[in-house]
Amino acid sequence: MPEEIVDQENQAPQQQVQATAVPEYNREMLMDMLPVYYRRLFPHMPFYRWLSYGLTEDGIFCNREISFTLHDDIYLRYLCFESQAEFEKEICLKLPVKMDIGPVMHTRPKNIRTVPGGLNPVQRELVFDIDMTDYDPVRTCCSEAEVCQKCWKFMVLAARILDVALREDFGFEHILWVFSGRRGIHCWVCDHQARHLDGRGRYAVAEYLNPISYVSFGGKNSPRCPMGDRTHHSLKRALKIAEPLFEEIILEDQNLFGTPKGVTKLLQMIPDDAARGELESYLQKSLEDGAHSRLVWESFLKYSNSMKTATASAWSRKLKNIVQEVQLGLLYPRLDINVTRGFNHLLKAPFCIHPSTGKVCVPFSVSAVAKFDPTTVPTITQLLHEINAFDDKSKSYMEAPEDKSRIKDHKKTSMFKGVVVFEEFLRKLERSHKAASLQF
Amino acid sequence: MEFHLKKRPRHDVKVEVVSLESKYPHNVMLYHYPPTDDVHIEEFEELALERLRLLRVLDRAFTKNLRLLSDEWKEYVNAELTREGLRSYLRLCSAGGSKHESDIQTRRRDYLSHFILRLAYCRSEDLTRWFVAREMELFRYKFAALSSSEVKQFLESNGFEIHPLTEAQKDEVKDGLYESTAGQSVSKIELLDFYKVPFTDVLDLVRGRRCYLKAGFAYVNTLDLVSIVGTRQQEEIEQGLQAAKGLVEEVEGDERISRMLKALHNSYTGKDYTVCRDAAIPIESLDQLSKTSMPLCMRMCHEHIRAQHHVKHGGRMQYGLFLKGIGVTLEDSLRFWREEFTKKMDADKFARSYEYNIYHNYGKKGSMVNYTPYSCAKIIKEMAAPGDCHGCPYKSMDPSSLKTKMASYGLSASAIDEVMFFVSRGHYQIGCGKYFQLTHSASVEPTINHPNHYFEESQILMGNRQKRTTNGPAPPKARVRPDIKGCADRSMLMGDDDDELWRIAETQERAMQSQKAISEAFDDDLDLTEIEY
Repeated sequence: MPEEIVDQENQAPQQQVQATAVPEYNREMLMDMLPVYYRRLFPHMPFYRWLSYGLTEDGIFCNREISFTLHDDIYLRYLCFESQAEFEKEICLKLPVKMDIGPVMHTRPKNIRTVPGGLNPVQRELVFDIDMTDYDPVRTCCSEAEVCQKCWKFMVLAARILDVALREDFGFEHILWVFSGRRGIHCWVCDHQARHLDGRGRYAVAEYLNPISYVSFGGKNSPRCPMGDRTHHSLKRALKIAEPLFEEIILEDQNLFGTPKGVTKLLQMIPDDAARGELESYLQKSLEDGAHSRLVWESFLKYSNSMKTATASAWSRKLKNIVQEVQLGLLYPRLDINVTRGFNHLLKAPFCIHPSTGKVCVPFSVSAVAKFDPTTVPTITQLLHEINAFDDKSKSYMEAPEDKSRIKDHKKTSMFKGVVVFEEFLRKLERSHKAASLQF
Repeated sequence: MEFHLKKRPRHDVKVEVVSLESKYPHNVMLYHYPPTDDVHIEEFEELALERLRLLRVLDRAFTKNLRLLSDEWKEYVNAELTREGLRSYLRLCSAGGSKHESDIQTRRRDYLSHFILRLAYCRSEDLTRWFVAREMELFRYKFAALSSSEVKQFLESNGFEIHPLTEAQKDEVKDGLYESTAGQSVSKIELLDFYKVPFTDVLDLVRGRRCYLKAGFAYVNTLDLVSIVGTRQQEEIEQGLQAAKGLVEEVEGDERISRMLKALHNSYTGKDYTVCRDAAIPIESLDQLSKTSMPLCMRMCHEHIRAQHHVKHGGRMQYGLFLKGIGVTLEDSLRFWREEFTKKMDADKFARSYEYNIYHNYGKKGSMVNYTPYSCAKIIKEMAAPGDCHGCPYKSMDPSSLKTKMASYGLSASAIDEVMFFVSRGHYQIGCGKYFQLTHSASVEPTINHPNHYFEESQILMGNRQKRTTNGPAPPKARVRPDIKGCADRSMLMGDDDDELWRIAETQERAMQSQKAISEAFDDDLDLTEIEY
């Protein structure tokens, strides 16, 4: 085993192998494992139920663009399927290492070359993509593609803040959250109105949910979340969610201001030159280098509070919300706004296997997001190991008729929870289709 | 004022105006029904250019980063509209439902010209985006001038079925309204009427988090109504552009129109630099001038020529026409190019291969067209290949070599950063204006949209131009092109300019006569430029 790991790292140096209990995931083996995964574990039926939306609209399933990434990076775009049977057959035949979901086009996307005027997307879920790498400036525990339980807390906040905004402000109900398999999360908003938002609508929603702007200072970009005189209710609510975790995440887990560099990060978030200078000299005077973040933060609070009463200073006007602005600036979800804005953007389908980690892109429930642990998400190796172990124990697989056992295969594994979340999401979605059809 | 009312037979006016008023009842209209008027081809062009100038004023305000409808924005736009001779539109944006005859005429011009530009701007996504953005700014400006009764009238006549919340309904959401209604004080919010609309009706308010949003509905106050109306207007324009796209082939069957429509977005509507009327520049001063008064694009051309003794066609056109525009005579121009080029080739080859081109640029050979110097819009669009020196350096050079270049021209690091701030955001012309401001220690940066304008501003600032013009025959600075009409228009669009040929003769004659004055002025140039540099 150790030899294999070395081997693998030589081939793909960035890739990290997570230490899990059962056998290690090995990328080389992926193509051998995928047939079994797609045949026995991939939830074909629920997946189809999702994308067909109860066939409430014409062409809603068969005009959907799907793309496959095959082994050896062969990328097939503009695929589409007439039925669940065809879809399932193609998946099991082509064994994509990755599947992406695009928009529903006005006609079959596979005819792209012969459609006059090209393809026009007619609907597509409103999607959000949050990537852990965008948190690199505010995390110290990991960087780039790595994720640990500490930095997952940023994702916890991101999911909570977005979810509640989408529900309360926009009235969306059918929201599916998915772990992307490595370092990010995806959100699929599947309400009828969300699917039918035009480009401008998506842009507006994306901007509404993205108050963070970046101000360049001394060559570095620091996040800003301006709150204005009266703060918009969406930001107040976000702060209410984020604030209780601020101490835990930023001050304790990340100890973000624990180095001189970290203190500079805090200073850079002050959008006023004079005030920044004052604060800098105050912090230098009152703290030693490398003081714990908690102390830095306390000094900052003390200073800004004391300055607030001084009438003529920027602290009482321009910077009167600075504490809250810094907190939100550090914790507010980092959206990849172009993914949300684009009608044509493809996004990885749930239940794919992330090729470099071997992990399944499992849906998770927002209410339990804090308990979700990205480090223990099952890998394909682990899943196959689990069904084998289960089969060995019960000996039922060989005897039972294939179809019957296959439906239940995922229940034998740790993927079970993800499928349950998905099924629950589908149940509500389908209920709304029924309600809608009764209205007509 | 450029109304042609007087040309019309007197007895017609009355009837026409009455019918016009029923046709164009409101200053602000949704541009829903395409006009069915007969328009003379000349008026067609005139209207197109007029609206283009109007939209370009808004564009300049936009690139100057002025906030839409802010006081500075209004001040700037109003001043520019006046300067451009577009006061009638200004009245449209400020006076209410005036029944004045000329205002009603303006409504008609407004309506027609919008539809004409649709034809010109439906042809690519970039054009469409620009057009829609500017039209929406105009719409908002016009709408903001309406009184509340006019707004009501507008809503009724355009079939907007929206009703304010009752007190009880308002009370239910009042906390949210207080918190999230942007730009209004709490006491004002108490008094304002609110409307509940699907959030998709007011995307601009949603985008900026400027209204209260709950369960998919936005709560919009009377003052933000423009947002709802604007959304409809924008849809109307965008759909109209789509429809125009389908029609454009048919329209372009008429060549008179198609040539204009195709060239319209690139046509230059500022001051005409085809013939320089107020100065003559001796070529001996070019080296100095290139350092002090030429924008980067021209300075680099000049240096390229001095260093390489050759320059490719694109550069010859760009720089050659620029030189003509600043007042280099044909003879001098020939001399300049010959002296340089013959360092690398024999005089015979130069005469064979290049002279024609220079005569041509001055309208002395071939089609006898006196070509117009390139504007920024055109230069920025030029695709310069390696080895070329034309095009806009802010756009074509990679940032690091651009920085090095500016540093070698003596700009400080911080000054370079200031310029690069705009350049990196794609605002090449503002970057150029910044460069101007920094190199001239000017208090404000001018809006640069033509290299010749840059040069002229620089000369004025250094005292050269003004000095000369006070004793010269030509009127001083900023001679805005008189209201565009007829053939002069076409020349702006196509670069045909035969009818101005006589002015070249005039210029040359003057140049010949005042040889003495020039050499004096040349001394002036040297003195002043030395002080400046």
